[in-house]
Amino acid sequence: MENDRIVQELKPFFEPRAVAIIGATNKKGKVGNVIFENFKRNKERGIFKGNIYPVNPKLDEIDGYKVYHSVEELPDDTDLAVIAIPAPFVPDTMREIAKKGIKAVIIITGGFGELGEEGKRMEREILEIAKANGIRVIGPNCVGVYAPDTGVDTVFLPEEKMDRPKSGPIAFISQSGAFAAAMLDWAAMAGIGIGKMVSYGNKLDVDDADIMEYFMHDDQIKVMTFYIEGVKDGRKFMEAAKKVTKVKPVIALKSGRTEYGAKAASSHTGSLAGQDVIYDAVFKQTGIIRAEDFEHMFDLAKAFAKCKLPKGDRIGIITDGGGAGVMASDAVAKFGLRLAELSEETLKFLKEKFPPHAVVGNPTDVVGDTDAGRYRLALEAFVKDPNVDAILVIVLFQVPLLNEEEVIEIIADYARKSDKPIVAVAMGGKKTDRYARMLEEKGVPVYPTPERGVRALAALVQYAKYLERGNAE
Amino acid sequence: MREEALGVIEEVLKSGRTAMVEYEAKQVLKAYGLPVPEEKLAKTLDEALKYAEEIGYPVVMKLMSPQILHKSDAKVVMLNVKSPEELKEKWALIHENARKYRPDAEILGVLIAPMLRPGREIIIGVTEDPQFGHAIMFGLGGIFVEILKDVTFRLVPITEKDARKMISEIKGYPILAGARGEEPADIEAIVDMLLKVSQLVDELKDYIKEMDLNPVFVYEKGKGAVIVDARIILKERA
Repeated sequence: MENDRIVQELKPFFEPRAVAIIGATNKKGKVGNVIFENFKRNKERGIFKGNIYPVNPKLDEIDGYKVYHSVEELPDDTDLAVIAIPAPFVPDTMREIAKKGIKAVIIITGGFGELGEEGKRMEREILEIAKANGIRVIGPNCVGVYAPDTGVDTVFLPEEKMDRPKSGPIAFISQSGAFAAAMLDWAAMAGIGIGKMVSYGNKLDVDDADIMEYFMHDDQIKVMTFYIEGVKDGRKFMEAAKKVTKVKPVIALKSGRTEYGAKAASSHTGSLAGQDVIYDAVFKQTGIIRAEDFEHMFDLAKAFAKCKLPKGDRIGIITDGGGAGVMASDAVAKFGLRLAELSEETLKFLKEKFPPHAVVGNPTDVVGDTDAGRYRLALEAFVKDPNVDAILVIVLFQVPLLNEEEVIEIIADYARKSDKPIVAVAMGGKKTDRYARMLEEKGVPVYPTPERGVRALAALVQYAKYLERGNAE
Repeated sequence: MREEALGVIEEVLKSGRTAMVEYEAKQVLKAYGLPVPEEKLAKTLDEALKYAEEIGYPVVMKLMSPQILHKSDAKVVMLNVKSPEELKEKWALIHENARKYRPDAEILGVLIAPMLRPGREIIIGVTEDPQFGHAIMFGLGGIFVEILKDVTFRLVPITEKDARKMISEIKGYPILAGARGEEPADIEAIVDMLLKVSQLVDELKDYIKEMDLNPVFVYEKGKGAVIVDARIILKERA
């Protein structure tokens, strides 16, 4: 029941029937204009299927859209309000929204609690109105929601300045709007698909715990990524996280890995307890996977988005370069995994099929004169081998006899049909990058170094073990 | 358990203090079944002599004063007191040192404790995080905590699995597991202590702000552990 409640409450943020943009304007570059443009464009593209209602007392029409002069005038199908008007006007607008019966509000406007007492007072007032009327609020002081499949895009950075990523099974949640925007822009470039993004700024009402629960029930989302600055209600966060991580992986990047600073502590323990060690404990106890940095977070997210979970920690490595194989083997040890001991059948099969100068073993080195066929043979054997739980395929696309597109097809094919996770490593420059993307497009996560590939596999192993144990404790 | 501990806490709060002296802290710990030595608080020299006789020489003498929480700095701890004569001598000295260190020090008495056989030193602590609440800390004592900060935290309450993971995840774990031919330490005793501290803090979270059990001596497998020194800081009464 509780779950139904959170899904019902938050659904209009992602799938509104009609959105009211309060503070919509025709002045280019204004927040109220960019958000209106986002919706309008997505409507024209056929992605946003709802109605768009600009609200502005001083205008009658924007770009052919009828402008409503007040919230009161809005049609009754309005179920999401996006507020982009100066802070002092927001409480009154909230009252009108309450009266109108709209239950989902995104307050983009800044200038509240982050600026001082008067702002905090207004926040309290807004929250009271929301609570009394069953309204859920994202923000204030935020960029809100980006949902490429339904066309909701309240990110007030225009498309001309910030690319939007394509859709995918990764959810991204960030308190900071600036970080969220930069991340979306980067994800677009890196070809990482983001199914839904929420950035809630001051987190007046809807918080991490709510969003996590919503995404837990969202079939589109396979993995959640969090950029956390601070958590308001620590215990609520922990309870939600414990529940959610048993269903879907949650990866968190916690900023400020430093100490509290001059925190007054009378005990020895108090002086050792920085915010960072506490978050470490929280993540360990709730099963959240902690990312070291931005790159790490999306390395892991990519693997979770595309791979099946391994049954164990025995890694099989296929490479066409000896050095890369050694680097991968080192990384296997470094991240606490094991090199698989290949079965007799695998060894026999590969020795029969491979030329004598290829190295059969783990790693199996198909060597520099390889063609795509050797990758097929090695993958076939590794996928069948009961001693192998997960496979790392290193492809140096630069070798002369390798047909790039053929090997991409082969790897993608095995990744699809095998129940073992397969991640790829492609080291090189511009040309390699192009093939790496082609392989990713076909559903295989690709990493630029063996270490990062193995680190991603380690996260899959860690999470699979966690699910097996049934809990974090 | 809770009632008994609360009784001690209420007494301390009633006297207008938030920092418990070692003796009081240990009573709270004892109420939850944590291993504290057989110690007694002597208010007079006669009592001290009587308790030392009961415990058996050599003994340790520690002066208890709410104003003197860093006992070694004030030189009010006397180790290895071997006889009634020496005890009388040290009784005078300990009081003199206390007066020198803090002329206004209120003296609650002198704790008479047995000399403990040294073991591997660990620290167990508790602190309160503003967002997440009370957290429990575990680490090896001495330089491991002072210099290397080789400690680990969990939010309270913890499970047995948490406790075991805490012990095994610190870098110094091999020292407990038995490095270089040493006998392994009593890991079960540490698990038991962590769980009891967690329960104590969970039940008394409205009262306890911070806590240090430092050091705790852990003996060989099956031989248990003992809390040598302890501090508890209470929350101001709201």
